[in-house]
Amino acid sequence: MKALNRREFIKTTTTTTAGVAIIASGITLTTYAAKPQESNPVTNEKRWGMLIDTNKLTETDIDDMIDACQEEQGWGSEILSTGDQKSGWIKKIKVKDTATDRISNLALMCQHCEEPPCVDVCPTNASMKREDGIVLVDKHLCIGCRYCMMACPYDARSFVHEELTNQKEHMPRGKGTVESCTMCVHKVDKGEQPACVEAVDSDAVIFGDLYDSNSKINQTLKKIQSTQIRADLNLNTAVRYSGI
Amino acid sequence: MNRLIIVFLSIMLSSVFAYADQHIPNLGKKATEFKDEGEKAHKREGMSHAASLILQRKMHPELLMHKRDKTLRQGVRGGYIQLKKCIECHTSVDENDEYIPINSADQFCSTCHQKVGISLDCFSCHRTTPSKEI
Repeated sequence: MKALNRREFIKTTTTTTAGVAIIASGITLTTYAAKPQESNPVTNEKRWGMLIDTNKLTETDIDDMIDACQEEQGWGSEILSTGDQKSGWIKKIKVKDTATDRISNLALMCQHCEEPPCVDVCPTNASMKREDGIVLVDKHLCIGCRYCMMACPYDARSFVHEELTNQKEHMPRGKGTVESCTMCVHKVDKGEQPACVEAVDSDAVIFGDLYDSNSKINQTLKKIQSTQIRADLNLNTAVRYSGI
Repeated sequence: MNRLIIVFLSIMLSSVFAYADQHIPNLGKKATEFKDEGEKAHKREGMSHAASLILQRKMHPELLMHKRDKTLRQGVRGGYIQLKKCIECHTSVDENDEYIPINSADQFCSTCHQKVGISLDCFSCHRTTPSKEI
């Protein structure tokens, strides 16, 4: 065999390397082609919202909603947390009109504002709003500074004070991060309704797409009088109430 | 010159065989069953065996990191890369037929992480066992 000189050696090795690279990239391509299908990213063509009719919603309904939320998301069984440290994704609130003494009960959770103050103040971008209007905490980025808890006018967020185990698969929760109602985003993405909405038998709580003119929530909002809590803040909440 | 080619090729080959001596002592219950039956679970899920080995060993942080942002921020669900899918096959079972947390000592995740001295942060929030009963 003819001895190779330097130039030919470089030529041969370059061709071999290029060949290997082409075959390898082919393998990679076929690998990704067979990948199981991922769902598409959500868009801002939808905005998920909720309408709560406080005239129809009984106190037991609210308790059912809270139980359903705890069951679905796995909060509320913290042992070491006391008093204000306890998580509260959804709360039962009594409001009283001081002029007429009329009392109504509200289920108050994250209102999923269009202009969320929690997102404005977050120093790490962990507090975020999805394209479809659901406000979430990215716990991968959350440093637990709790600015968002201060900023939220609805006191909707809680802080995890203790180490946890046996979380739900779809809802990772951990010490040192802030959490709040996710509008059951894992269910909504599957086309289902949030757990608290499913827990109420009557149509006291309606969930749906606020932008879709055929949806029940859109139709109902057109017909009946409804209000946002602290509408003066101009946050344009996705959770609306009627009867207060 | 021929000698140079031999040296070059053996360097190339040695980098391939560098993985051959590595083995993961604790694959987990389901994954061991799949392996014993000769079933390539990763392949069945849509990834070639070679690609899955390289990707899972060297690039799993990047893959999981990429997917977590897509899932949380854009609502992209399903697909090949899901932490719960890893856990589903790679957790072991103790003598009482209960799952051993995947981040405890000498389990699938912690074996390598102990060896290279990298802390394992996923499981301060994420569930460490499959949610399905055995």
